[in-house]
Amino acid sequence: MFAIPSALWPVVYFGVTIAVTAVIGWLASLAIWGLMRQSNPQVTAAAQRLGLIVVWLVGIVIAVQELGVAVDVLLVVIALLGAAAIVALRQPLENFGAKYFTDVYSPFKVGDTVRVGDLAGKVIEVNAMTTVLLTEDDLLVALPNARVLREPVVNLTPLAWKELTVPITLPGSIDLPAFESDMVKALAKIRTRLDRRYPPLFTTKSRSPQSSDLVLTLMVRRPEDREPVLAEANLRLTEVMERTRGSGSRGTVPSEPVEHPS
Amino acid sequence: MEPLTVLLNTQTPLLQFLPEDEGRTAHWEIEPDFAKLEEGTDFEFSPGGVTRMVYPLAKRLIAEGLWKEVHWVALNPKAPETVRLQPGITLHNVNIDPSRMRGYGKTKEAIWTTVHGLSEPTLSRDLFWTDDYGEYTFYNRTTAELIRGLDHQHDFDLFYVHDFQQLPIGHMIGSLKPKIFRWHIPFDPAHVPEPWRPLLETFFNAYDVVVVSSESYRDALKRFGHRGRVERVYPYVDPEEYHRPAPAEVETLAEAHGIDPSDTVVLVVARMDPAKGQDRAIEAIARLAPRFPTLKLVLVGNGSFSSSPGGVGLSKGSLWRRHLEKRAESLGVADRVVLTGHVSQSELDGLYERCAFTVLPSSYEGFGLVVVESWLHHKPAIVSDRAGVAELVRDGENGLLFGPDDPASLAQKMQRLLRDRGPLRERLGESGFRTARVCTLETAVKTESRLLGRVLEA
Repeated sequence: MFAIPSALWPVVYFGVTIAVTAVIGWLASLAIWGLMRQSNPQVTAAAQRLGLIVVWLVGIVIAVQELGVAVDVLLVVIALLGAAAIVALRQPLENFGAKYFTDVYSPFKVGDTVRVGDLAGKVIEVNAMTTVLLTEDDLLVALPNARVLREPVVNLTPLAWKELTVPITLPGSIDLPAFESDMVKALAKIRTRLDRRYPPLFTTKSRSPQSSDLVLTLMVRRPEDREPVLAEANLRLTEVMERTRGSGSRGTVPSEPVEHPS
Repeated sequence: MEPLTVLLNTQTPLLQFLPEDEGRTAHWEIEPDFAKLEEGTDFEFSPGGVTRMVYPLAKRLIAEGLWKEVHWVALNPKAPETVRLQPGITLHNVNIDPSRMRGYGKTKEAIWTTVHGLSEPTLSRDLFWTDDYGEYTFYNRTTAELIRGLDHQHDFDLFYVHDFQQLPIGHMIGSLKPKIFRWHIPFDPAHVPEPWRPLLETFFNAYDVVVVSSESYRDALKRFGHRGRVERVYPYVDPEEYHRPAPAEVETLAEAHGIDPSDTVVLVVARMDPAKGQDRAIEAIARLAPRFPTLKLVLVGNGSFSSSPGGVGLSKGSLWRRHLEKRAESLGVADRVVLTGHVSQSELDGLYERCAFTVLPSSYEGFGLVVVESWLHHKPAIVSDRAGVAELVRDGENGLLFGPDDPASLAQKMQRLLRDRGPLRERLGESGFRTARVCTLETAVKTESRLLGRVLEA
């Protein structure tokens, strides 16, 4: 019978640990998806990514240990570098992180007129660091995103309280027309909670063969409907995304540019 | 201005490909070279605006070096995916599943009847919350995705979208490049259900310019609250396409359709559709028949692309034709009414030549190019005052106007022309011929070039 030389056992353990890490990562990702079905799909995807990073970090450290390498020093160096980076980049990181949360949870979007503290203006840009306002005096004001997240924001746009904007990232494997059509039908089921003058509206922000960034705009009938409608919309999103993977019809965008017939 | 690469989008395709009998494979399905296909056997040009207006304009602008290349996307389920029609013009056909096509067809039909004032606005107020609207969205998104893919390959300078069915396309493609939308049907804010307004505004505002067919629609769109630019461009035809056949040819053609040499022919050219109001013309004939024993009404036209088996597959056209036949029978004038169905251009020329005058009896009509056709044949036209072309008609000078809601009005105007022995008909016909100049391809090329220049420079 074939016997593994004892010198190779650490390599085998290393390989097994990596394989087990991959399986645990996959299971963790599934568990997060299951637990966050009512959350925004972008938040779910971010949580899945974060979960995977944590699992892989732990898995790699354990695997490296199996090879007989002392990881104590490595861990200390990683921790110190991380702490130094956080201290040095505290403010940009704060703004960068805040941008993520304002995108998903702040009740305003580009085009709205808002007041933040003593500043008021039309939101013309939300970038990684700042939210840019155009004031009535034609002045540009850049507000750090962390401030926008920290301070009360008053949205002065008419009917802004009705509006729910749901950012959606669809992988390229999903047939966009079928997805949108099914979502329109699914959301019509909760139309009594929505303002009948505003059917669900999908706006394409960017499109590539790999993915599509869309925004779904919904208008609720009553202020207290915002939260349940958002949860229901997210639930429907997840369901419809699962259902519409890979269906298609003639007329969908080619995944790769094709030659023009001569 | 550099020659433009243009994306054209219409619902109705330029070409309709003909099926083979007995379930055999049609020639076009196995022959990749379009040049080897034959008109009349393998395909035919769709009747109506795409062939009369859009195609000649594209050809002319390419010939004049203003457009370099045109990619034309249209709904065409039974057709090759791509057809290289001629140098510079490529057709791209959209196909969707028949089950989705039904929902799409029902939605666009509901929009059409509502906008034409043919159904109560309250009946369709929840249209955009139905499953059928989901299919309408599917069709438009499928089209928009094809357009985006083509834009990726060809980097268009301009998107030119026609037909009310395609209104969401501008919003869906989301490109920052110039977008023009041509609204061909009537526009009256009173017919638009209140709950439709915000969505229609969003869709209209996605375009740089909305083009309508009359001054009244331009004013109406502004009253509706549209903030963007609205331009009026009269629809047009190419007079070169119209010929005056020899008298012998005309008589042979008339005989083939059961028209006697002594008959006084009133001609209605319109597709089979309740909005076209052919029933009004039949009722007017019934009123006049006892006094004018040689009077005959000729109805030319069949269903639209939507009614065709290769298109959306709605049965509206054939149902309306049966209704008209029954109406004529019930009024005792079945022998005075001839329904020709679709006729070729040369036959149509012959029927224009043979008629005494034409009638446009529509309850609402985006424009009414058949009136211009009538004028090009020096024939007077009696025109519904709810047609876009009515703003070019000065009653008693270059045509006659009537109110489609007044049953006696059309008969009175017809009687006026029937009693006339020549001078009035001739005067109206000649004056109409002069008016037709504002609706010719020549005029349109100048107007559209100016419009494109303004849009691109803006």
